[in-house]
Amino acid sequence: MTSNLLVGAYLLPVLIGFLIVTPWGESFASSLTDRFPSLKSARGRLLSGLQLISLAGFAVSTQTLWISSKISEGGSFCSSTSTFSCDDLLGNSKLNVDPVLGLSWGLIGMATFALLLFIVLVLKQEHNHPLSERFVSMGLLTTGIGLLVIGLLVSYEIQEEKICLYCTTAHIANIAAFVGFFRLKKLQEDNSEWNK
Amino acid sequence: MKIDVIEDENAAAVGNALIKVMSLFFIGIMIIAFTANPVSVGTNEGQRAPDIEGKYYNGSGWTEFDFSSYFNTSWQEGDVSGQWVVIEFMDTDCPYCQQTADEYGQFANTFSVNNPDWNGPHVNFLASATELDIQGHETDRAEIEKFRSDYNHNFPYIDDIDQDNMKEWGIPGTPNYFLIQPDGIIAWSSSEHQDEKVNDAIVRLVPRESA
Repeated sequence: MTSNLLVGAYLLPVLIGFLIVTPWGESFASSLTDRFPSLKSARGRLLSGLQLISLAGFAVSTQTLWISSKISEGGSFCSSTSTFSCDDLLGNSKLNVDPVLGLSWGLIGMATFALLLFIVLVLKQEHNHPLSERFVSMGLLTTGIGLLVIGLLVSYEIQEEKICLYCTTAHIANIAAFVGFFRLKKLQEDNSEWNK
Repeated sequence: MKIDVIEDENAAAVGNALIKVMSLFFIGIMIIAFTANPVSVGTNEGQRAPDIEGKYYNGSGWTEFDFSSYFNTSWQEGDVSGQWVVIEFMDTDCPYCQQTADEYGQFANTFSVNNPDWNGPHVNFLASATELDIQGHETDRAEIEKFRSDYNHNFPYIDDIDQDNMKEWGIPGTPNYFLIQPDGIIAWSSSEHQDEKVNDAIVRLVPRESA
């Protein structure tokens, strides 16, 4: 039960980041602009929201890889007879790796969110970087492929009749990042807004 | 001169971001490496045995087999109380499986808690019966039941006629034996010790009271 409550620590920054990258992010972030001046511009809000989402996504992916590793040792972390039992999914040696290369989904999540974080950090430092358009497209493509992966992983959850809350938090982070990069792409097309 | 400065700034942006992200990734991996000791699933010695799925026959009928019920993941090496598992991948029509069937049945009786001469933990014997892709090797559940009865085996026979388990375990041919620790880790496999019989492996590896 405690392990499921711990998910909140990852979910909260993801949801805050998600709120910031949505069109309602401006009103939400307005009270924070004195403390965080970067939130004043649309680009700043999107990049800050994406940074929060990517960091939380990276952290929760690391946690899922750790849980898989602990279960393989013979331990348990969030085993439960209820629907919310991540051990049944993260400990399933057939389902916790990708079907092509056999890499752990947790490791793939870590690499994905690390890539997104890299893109965000570059754009935060140099938003007119010669590769900025390509970076944003790369972020959009990565999170778009992530949506397909989420579909596959959710099908595993339906098949096993179990829900892994840690995995779900990583999925929400990917969806939130997709929304963020989509809005960032739109913003980039409007040169005056992008350079504000 | 100005162009050089811009290029430097662009390179610095990528470099700084790369250092930060790589450091974060490295820290994440190091945390996992220092706090967990993952065991991979596979059929080599030291790996966690893959699952065995299907129905099994125990003399009265065919019911769902639960391989995980044989293991206690908290078992510690040297603990004499945990039950070990020997599994044979076989085909009822394989001549060598037929030749060794009597012997395998004797081993099951020898390494049992019901044998007063055996001072070690109980060793559960299992057989996973498949149908090799060889002409004349066609089989069915009735043939598996008959084979078990003919050799007076009293241990479970798992239906692997569809070869699912055999493929999952990467079994090249039959018979093939594995000795598995009470925590589900493969301690010995016949393919890695072709000059050692499974009974000798049990005597060598399974801890005993007086050992």
